[in-house]
Amino acid sequence: MTSILIFGLLVALLLTGTPVSIALGLTVLTVLFTLTDVPLDAVALKLFTGMEKFEIMAVPFFILAGAFLTHGGVAKRMIRFATAMTGHWAGGLGISSVLACAIFAAVSGSSPATVIAIGSILVPAMVAQGHPPRFGAGVIASSGTLGILIPPSIVMVLYALATAGMNAKGPNGERVSAASVDDLFMAGVVPGLLLAILLGSVTWWIAKKEDYPRAMRATWSEAFDALVDCIWGLALIAVVLGGIYGGFVTPTEAAALSAIYAFFVAKFIYRDIGWDDVPKVLLSAANMSAMLLYIITNAMLFSFLLTYEQIPQTIAEWIVAQGFNWITFLIVVNILLLVAGTFMEPASIILIMAPILFPVAAKLGIDPVHFGIIMVVNMEIGMITPPLGLNLYVTSGVAKLGMTETSRAVLPWLLSMLAFLVLVTYWPGLSLTLPQSLGLM
Amino acid sequence: MTSGPGLRWLDRLEETLIATLMGLATLVIFVAVVHRYSLSHLGGLVVWARDAGYPGLSETLRSIYFWLLSIRLTWAQELCIYLFVWMAKFGAAYGVRTGIHVGVDVLVNQLRPEWRHRLVLFGLFCGALFTAFVGWLGARLVAHLFYSGQVSAVLEAPMWFVYLCLPLGSFLMSFRFLQVAAHFSRTGELPHHDPASEVMTDEVRS
Repeated sequence: MTSILIFGLLVALLLTGTPVSIALGLTVLTVLFTLTDVPLDAVALKLFTGMEKFEIMAVPFFILAGAFLTHGGVAKRMIRFATAMTGHWAGGLGISSVLACAIFAAVSGSSPATVIAIGSILVPAMVAQGHPPRFGAGVIASSGTLGILIPPSIVMVLYALATAGMNAKGPNGERVSAASVDDLFMAGVVPGLLLAILLGSVTWWIAKKEDYPRAMRATWSEAFDALVDCIWGLALIAVVLGGIYGGFVTPTEAAALSAIYAFFVAKFIYRDIGWDDVPKVLLSAANMSAMLLYIITNAMLFSFLLTYEQIPQTIAEWIVAQGFNWITFLIVVNILLLVAGTFMEPASIILIMAPILFPVAAKLGIDPVHFGIIMVVNMEIGMITPPLGLNLYVTSGVAKLGMTETSRAVLPWLLSMLAFLVLVTYWPGLSLTLPQSLGLM
Repeated sequence: MTSGPGLRWLDRLEETLIATLMGLATLVIFVAVVHRYSLSHLGGLVVWARDAGYPGLSETLRSIYFWLLSIRLTWAQELCIYLFVWMAKFGAAYGVRTGIHVGVDVLVNQLRPEWRHRLVLFGLFCGALFTAFVGWLGARLVAHLFYSGQVSAVLEAPMWFVYLCLPLGSFLMSFRFLQVAAHFSRTGELPHHDPASEVMTDEVRS
């Protein structure tokens, strides 16, 4: 009964257009004060201390690193390298865009940042070369989603946070511990590369069919120059992943180092930003971070309420009693997440849904890391489905194309991503083999 | 959206505060990591210099090592968290002004203008109400901590000061919601966050 009230109130508030964080917080306060006898100060303390975990701080650091990378010339040099490598193939700049997005995704944890960094340069370049803007918009919006699948990934950090310390039980009643950020990052590598290849193939096929122009083949010395020039950006991959998996730093520290490193490269090596740009970058990163941290705080309060009311456990038992197995359950999960993805942004969905779905998944014997990757791929698709697709929105800005046009432009890539989602969902080995063979889990 | 001329100083203060906190927190963690690694490598260097027959060098390195060791940076994580808590509370208020707190506007945008107008105002008042209530809870907590004299685990900073950002930030956020509501009812415009224009430098945009 209480659960119907909780979700009813939340949905009603969300539909009025109230910000997600506020809707979550108001729901919790209303339910707690009218229906339970949780003391006021306990709630207050929960609301205020929910954020005091060092793991959470990876989110603002990754955002800051992304802001410096987008501002500085790192993306520009990665694009030059990608074009030198693949520009002369059939598919030309389209394939190079996918490659550049994949490389940038390996230093950035956010999809919209990837779209902006790569798209703002390559979409105009493609149009100038004679590609229709629709093609450019489609490639960039879809390849940009790689940002959250190829590590590092802010969405994965949020999934790890949202499920950390939950009391989840496996099929035989054994305790299932939540996925760590390290495991999730490593699990994203193989699916990320596979998706990049898949998106590249779609791009290649369309470009070949439409006979789009190719770039001139770069000479070996040009290609080598381009590689040397972007080596400082590529080294960031080593800083983040090497730092974490070499056991030198925690993911949060790696995020802070990558922010400092990105600043250093942009300021002193590439000299693309001046001192007076720094406050602007800091402010825009702080704006985005504070918004996410505000959702996180309120989502944690919401998940406290859910746990207090035993709602995830009740749902888990109900699902099992209905005779769902992991296969049918994941169909439901995917549909639910795809629908949610069309009108909410990834951070909110992960923070609200993960604590509810994770105990059920655990109960059905689904690996927490595999489940995380499924959620991330769903979020990627959500980013390119209207009406609220972050990537569509950003792409329509950089491609100067209307939202409707952009939404239509991504269709071929969107369909291939749906097929990819089925593959990721029903082939756990795709995600889990790499972290397992490295002895992480 | 920016405030009227009388409140421009508040906007500036808010922006300077959160940008500074963001930069400071990053520096703190960077210094802490560098400190940790220079310690472990220095230790190795001291042994190496002694074994390789450079007692003078070994002595110098040893004194640097102990000097570094005497600077205890165990509080770095705690400080970073508190800097970010402050950044988050005031940043959330700034976010109201920049329109970054998004909601689900699918339904609202389908409505007739006068109903849309009412619902948008309702959403903004929900925001003002919630944040004012949280601000009041925060004020109670701060008062309680002030009398109990609690201090933080590592830094031993007074907790009432650490949590002072809760009432201050929340009341500011509430004020920002009201400001946006007033602006909306006057002009019919809402602040709108455009990620593409914000993160692009002029060079990239051209």
